[in-house]
Amino acid sequence: MEAGAAKLIGAGIAMLGTIGAGLGIGILVSGAVQGIARNPDASGDVQTNMILGIAFAEAVAIYCLVVALLIIFVG
Amino acid sequence: MDRPRPRIFGIPNRYFVLLFLILGFFAARIFPPVLPHIQVAPEVVTIINLPIVGMFGWTNTMTAMVVADVIMLFIAFAVRRAVRSGSLVPTGFSGAIEAVIEVLYNMTESTAGKWAKKIFPWFGAITVFVLIVNWTELIPGVDTVGRIEIARTHGNPVEEVLGNVYTLLPAEDNGEGGHEEDMFTLIPYVRTLSTDLNFTVALALISVTMTQIYGFQALGPGYFSKYMNVKALLNFFKNPMGIIDFGVGLLEIVSEISKILSFSFRLFGNIFAGTVLLFVIGTLVPVFAPTIFYLLEVFVGLIQAFVFGILTMVFMSQAMAGHGDH
Repeated sequence: MEAGAAKLIGAGIAMLGTIGAGLGIGILVSGAVQGIARNPDASGDVQTNMILGIAFAEAVAIYCLVVALLIIFVG
Repeated sequence: MDRPRPRIFGIPNRYFVLLFLILGFFAARIFPPVLPHIQVAPEVVTIINLPIVGMFGWTNTMTAMVVADVIMLFIAFAVRRAVRSGSLVPTGFSGAIEAVIEVLYNMTESTAGKWAKKIFPWFGAITVFVLIVNWTELIPGVDTVGRIEIARTHGNPVEEVLGNVYTLLPAEDNGEGGHEEDMFTLIPYVRTLSTDLNFTVALALISVTMTQIYGFQALGPGYFSKYMNVKALLNFFKNPMGIIDFGVGLLEIVSEISKILSFSFRLFGNIFAGTVLLFVIGTLVPVFAPTIFYLLEVFVGLIQAFVFGILTMVFMSQAMAGHGDH
């Protein structure tokens, strides 16, 4: 297998890690929406913490993306 | 139907939108867009000879840094003039900036409490500066206007448009390796600063270092007992599990280093992937599709700037509060 093809396949496999991020963000937002439904007055606090949590979960997906981009453009 | 429609030179705006749509459709036919050469490292535009350092390569992200600094100074002086004018309620642009500052300051106060005045400058400055830097990628001309250079790897032929202005043509699909000397590539004059790893790593280092310094200022030398939990070691005979607490303390050092990496790669990955996405979509479907991705990039740039700032703020306030629960 030549290097060019291996790069592309490697980048494709690296992006499978975003499954975890999607699941994580879904669980997180589900909890946040339930919290807002129970207590609409706390929605500002809940929303801020939700955005924080989404940033952490998304960062893992972005690590996968960075690895894929590094494989294609730098490796 | 009674509201006055927004007009430029007496023609309603909608006709300008229609004109640009039609012009864009024909422009995409006459000058088809070309996928630029994408690389992680920023491209050097000129080389300057400095006295001590020697040869210094001025990259296109540094130009974007100067542009973002100038924009930020404009905003600062506009707000300063509005504040100096003495009216209690600023209107217009300064009013918008005041609303943003108020929202951010309220968030800082609710999280940090009494340390809000120390933490807020970092939160506000990082958020506003990274926001300006992220939104620079949406200005037409950034990443597209540049200098034509001989390509080292793949390239595209050029065509002269008018005077000294050239444009890249899509490469012909022939398998020959000849004619390598007239293949060119584009070096943009301005490239988004957040796609430069130097910027994101530097900002992450500043953020994490200042967190440690503020923790030390707030708690004294006892702040470092978070990392070297000698108290748990000394209590070994009363509580043998103290060894694990000491290990957890050492793991906190690893966690701080991973914070540096995570800060820098989160911002870099989001914005770099955004620019690559805009390039690829602009090449494949030049006419209507880039609009949707521009909207996505506006959103992503805003969220990433906000997240960088708010994580800095939360880590600083956690460091200054210390272990209140033990």
